[in-house]
Amino acid sequence: MTPALEISHLRKVYKSGTVAVEDVSLTVRPGDFFGFLGPNGAGKSTTIHCITGITNPTSGTIRIFGVDAVADYRNARKLVGLSPQEFNVDPFANARNIVDWMGGYFGMRAAERKKRVDMLIERFDLVPHASKPFRELSGGLKRRVILARAMVNDPKLLILDEPTAGVDVELRMDLWRYLQELNRDGTTILLTSHYLEEIERLCRTIAIVHNGRIVRDGPKEEFFTEPGGLERAYLAATGKAAEHTAVAAR
Amino acid sequence: MTINWIGLWTMIRREIQRLARVPIQAVVAPLISALLFIFIFGFVVGGRISSIGGYRYLEFVLPGVVMMNIVNAAFLQATSQIYFQRFQKSIEEILVSPLSYVEMIAGTISIVILRSVFTAIGIMLIGVAFGAVHMHSVAEFLFWVIFVSMIFGFLGIIVALWAKTFEQLNVLVVFFITPLSMVGGVFNTVAMLPGWLRWLAYGNPFFYFINGLRHAMLGFNEAPTTIGVTLTVALAAVLGTIVWRLYAIGWGLRE
Repeated sequence: MTPALEISHLRKVYKSGTVAVEDVSLTVRPGDFFGFLGPNGAGKSTTIHCITGITNPTSGTIRIFGVDAVADYRNARKLVGLSPQEFNVDPFANARNIVDWMGGYFGMRAAERKKRVDMLIERFDLVPHASKPFRELSGGLKRRVILARAMVNDPKLLILDEPTAGVDVELRMDLWRYLQELNRDGTTILLTSHYLEEIERLCRTIAIVHNGRIVRDGPKEEFFTEPGGLERAYLAATGKAAEHTAVAAR
Repeated sequence: MTINWIGLWTMIRREIQRLARVPIQAVVAPLISALLFIFIFGFVVGGRISSIGGYRYLEFVLPGVVMMNIVNAAFLQATSQIYFQRFQKSIEEILVSPLSYVEMIAGTISIVILRSVFTAIGIMLIGVAFGAVHMHSVAEFLFWVIFVSMIFGFLGIIVALWAKTFEQLNVLVVFFITPLSMVGGVFNTVAMLPGWLRWLAYGNPFFYFINGLRHAMLGFNEAPTTIGVTLTVALAAVLGTIVWRLYAIGWGLRE
């Protein structure tokens, strides 16, 4: 079966000389809920930027459902929806337009787009806020708009870069439920988060990236057979276990 | 590969909505500037000049004023659109979408042309009010408006991709566009220049743009049309190719 995402020896060096991704290879099965973990600056967001076309990979290959994300970027982009970590929108535009424009870029016809935008605006409780400029919305509402925008093209691969950072418990729970629904319906999801609880609850496969390399990956169950569970495995994989054990012992 | 017309139209309508938020900058400012030029050079100065090439001074100056505003509108539109989208990171919405690089550029240039055409029409309407508008050839007029807009749209995109600060956006305007447009024959014919300075006019691309538009409006020509047309088409093609290449390698966009 063609993987939903296949990254082979991805390397990204920024113009400044910073090596953001040293050598990342990973495979996401279709229909998987894939957790992509790592400390700040480990290379998670840069990897996502390379997958989605926000930045150029220096070397390596990325295939989305078998489509080369660089050579055949148009077809590859059609399959992906992205909710980035940072708010990358026109702050003066309103919520409805932000979602609608993205549907337009994806070539969705007006009627189809309206139906989809209406559904997402309602699904994310944005109806009373749909006409407000983005900059006037609270942090949680802004996050909802970004999530709705990521889903407007009904992507086969949904990439969520810290989607619940800074949002209230209610939205987090609601989003978890919705993501599980989408995943049940066949959407492959790649999720990055600093909340291990979120990864534990949602993901079936986990990869840990550290210093631009995948240091551990496998089915979620593998991480839970070890004492200390995911947290312990995460600290061990990122080389922080000894440090934390020493702190705990004091 | 089919053209993503809906994506292209979305780029255009989005930018129209953005421009609607800044009507003074987008619409009123160039019209007031043109009105002042027409008033000062058409009446105050023009009142002391009998005629140039058989035309009232105001009629002679008007094509140059239109061209200066087309150049400014095109350059400003391209730089502000791309630079602000880079600054806000909202350009990532375009980068993650299934638009080809050519479509991304075409979307930006379409708006540039649209804004230039509307600016030109606005100034022409002011000119009509002063009885100074002639139209020798509509096809030529459209050629000059569209191709010059494309040239300065492409230049604007290059500058917007290169700029790291707001101030850098103005470098080309201050040191290149304004001086060359001022000495490009807006206010005078080449024959009015001293002999030793005429090479400056013939080596200045703005002279051909202004001369071309003046020919389209008045039928008054100071250089062979083919030279101006060839230069303009070649410049648009070269700059368009450079912009396409920059998008393809992601310079200033996906570094």
